[in-house]
Amino acid sequence: MPNIVLFSGSSHQDLSQRVADRLGLELGKVVTKKFSNQETSVEIGESVRGEDVYIIQSGCGEINDNLMELLIMINACKIASSSRVTAVIPCFPYARQDKKDKSRAPISAKLVANMLSVAGADHIITMDLHASQIQGFFDIPVDNLYAEPAVLQWIRENIAEWKNCIIVSPDAGGAKRVTSIADRLNVEFALIHKERKKANEVDRMVLVGDVKDRVAILVDDMADTCGTICHAADKLLSAGATKVYAILTHGIFSGPAISRINNAAFEAVVVTNTIPQEDKMKHCTKIQVIDISMILAEAIRRTHNGESVSYLFSHVPL
Amino acid sequence: MFCVTPPELETKMNITKGGLVLFSANSNSSCMELSKKIAERLGVEMGKVQVYQEPNRETRVQIQESVRGKDVFIIQTISKDVNTTIMELLIMVYACKTSCAKSIIGVIPYFPYSKQCKMRKRGSIVSKLLASMMCKAGLTHLITMDLHQKEIQGFFNIPVDNLRASPFLLQYIQEEIPDYRNAVIVAKSPASAKRAQSFAERLRLGIAVIHGEAQDAESDLVDGRHSPPMVRSVAAIHPSLEIPMLIPKEKPPITVVGDVGGRIAIIVDDIIDDVDSFLAAAETLKERGAYKIFVMATHGLLSSDAPRLIEESAIDEVVVTNTIPHEVQKLQCPKIKTVDISMILSEAIRRIHNGESMSYLFRNIGLDD
Repeated sequence: MPNIVLFSGSSHQDLSQRVADRLGLELGKVVTKKFSNQETSVEIGESVRGEDVYIIQSGCGEINDNLMELLIMINACKIASSSRVTAVIPCFPYARQDKKDKSRAPISAKLVANMLSVAGADHIITMDLHASQIQGFFDIPVDNLYAEPAVLQWIRENIAEWKNCIIVSPDAGGAKRVTSIADRLNVEFALIHKERKKANEVDRMVLVGDVKDRVAILVDDMADTCGTICHAADKLLSAGATKVYAILTHGIFSGPAISRINNAAFEAVVVTNTIPQEDKMKHCTKIQVIDISMILAEAIRRTHNGESVSYLFSHVPL
Repeated sequence: MFCVTPPELETKMNITKGGLVLFSANSNSSCMELSKKIAERLGVEMGKVQVYQEPNRETRVQIQESVRGKDVFIIQTISKDVNTTIMELLIMVYACKTSCAKSIIGVIPYFPYSKQCKMRKRGSIVSKLLASMMCKAGLTHLITMDLHQKEIQGFFNIPVDNLRASPFLLQYIQEEIPDYRNAVIVAKSPASAKRAQSFAERLRLGIAVIHGEAQDAESDLVDGRHSPPMVRSVAAIHPSLEIPMLIPKEKPPITVVGDVGGRIAIIVDDIIDDVDSFLAAAETLKERGAYKIFVMATHGLLSSDAPRLIEESAIDEVVVTNTIPHEVQKLQCPKIKTVDISMILSEAIRRIHNGESMSYLFRNIGLDD
């Protein structure tokens, strides 16, 4: 593909390499390092003048460092006369701070959106935003891709009894996401309704729906400390579920998450590789990964070629 | 983006000028009920203003008293003619801005276009457009109520106070529904499960969720989930790109998750506009053995045939707040009941004008509400 340069931030080299391989490109030369005072320094090692630049950086690990690095890379490409800069952010940082849910709470997702625009991003490609309204925080186009097709494929290929499964949402807020998957698999859904006094703290849980003698699949968009899903798993088993799987798009797994999963009764905890999982997989054999690099690669290819998405709905290309 | 005025300056400005002016930007007098109630509660007169349409249908606003250096509160309730209402508001905000008002606070209990807050295919995010237009016109603060999605707050570059009507609706349930202890809170679609949960939590009741064909208004089919399209034929151009195929969504039959048999069903939602989905939900609930059906919502748009359909349906009562005038609908259908929320709006106005904390108004509000 002409006039395209793909850069990788330091957050997720493996995913960037996979995307580059799928597109048949080399990753662009870029050196990111830190000065002794911890300031981030970026050197773009090849010409980007007039090029269509894609920068892949996920919101994981050292979130603030990675975000800053992304902003600096976008700005560096912008002022080096690239024709367009697209930030590919598989896991959007600060996405959970998307509303003023209590007095004086900041809407940090909006702040990040403003920062990306100010740095010079012309287009954003991301995946499974925590709330799709975040698209509206930007004044530039945002493509919010969905991992759902890959998740559905994984369920059909890896869970033998999927026709007798039930999709469970660990909280009421995820009911919509769960019904979408349940409908496509043509199975039933249930939800766990909980009384929660503080964020990240689980109280009494009530299961609504019948999971008896079925394979329960917990589905959510992200898992952080995993308190909720581990309690949910116990609840489902005590309600008569035969096996419990958890499928999450963004596996953040911070704090006690790994030990909680190891102690919980999951058959498997399935996440996508929007966030690097190798280290965590070493400590937890239950974690399995769905590769979504082809979805990102295809989105980049289409964006670069200016191809219509809806054209392909009704037409078979030659 | 967030600019902070040093406190000393603020007080100085209050000394030199100050004062509060309350305007209603509605040309339609039936929409002014709420503003009159708020003015009464605050003990102030409504500001003198003329809003009318010229013969060529353009809106004209004439502000007939000084706003220089004052806190201007513009109360706008949304009438049937929603686009005109929006123009009236924007024109009045801009008029106040160019007339040197100190701050212009919009009081829009029902934020119009709030259902169009997501990108669907090539669609516009109209809520965002409206938010940008309001900010551009000169609004410095917005008071609203039960936004369809709380994330809409982030569409604005100004502070937004999203007040909640739920305490008033909960009070109504506790006082006006005998045996509410035997009720179950129902979400008529999975999308409103969160709201149902927050009601259920505070009333210590169970929840049920309805899912099925009748409610497709906010289906995810159209929101770009298929982008890029997950078709295998893509492989024809790029054999290396294997993207999982997406089978078309089957229309599932209506299911109710949760038990409603022998109970009072209280359907909660934020907006009642078209009542078809509520009627279908009520039918289903009746079939499953619910013996009484209530519908609670913040915003009662109740468009077109809604009052007649409700009157003929299995629903026993529809409870809405007065964020939107619905006097006409009430005449057609005595099942519609109104809860007055002017108290919280007037209190919010008072607190903002005096620079007091608003968090008192959000006490007992859960994260999910």
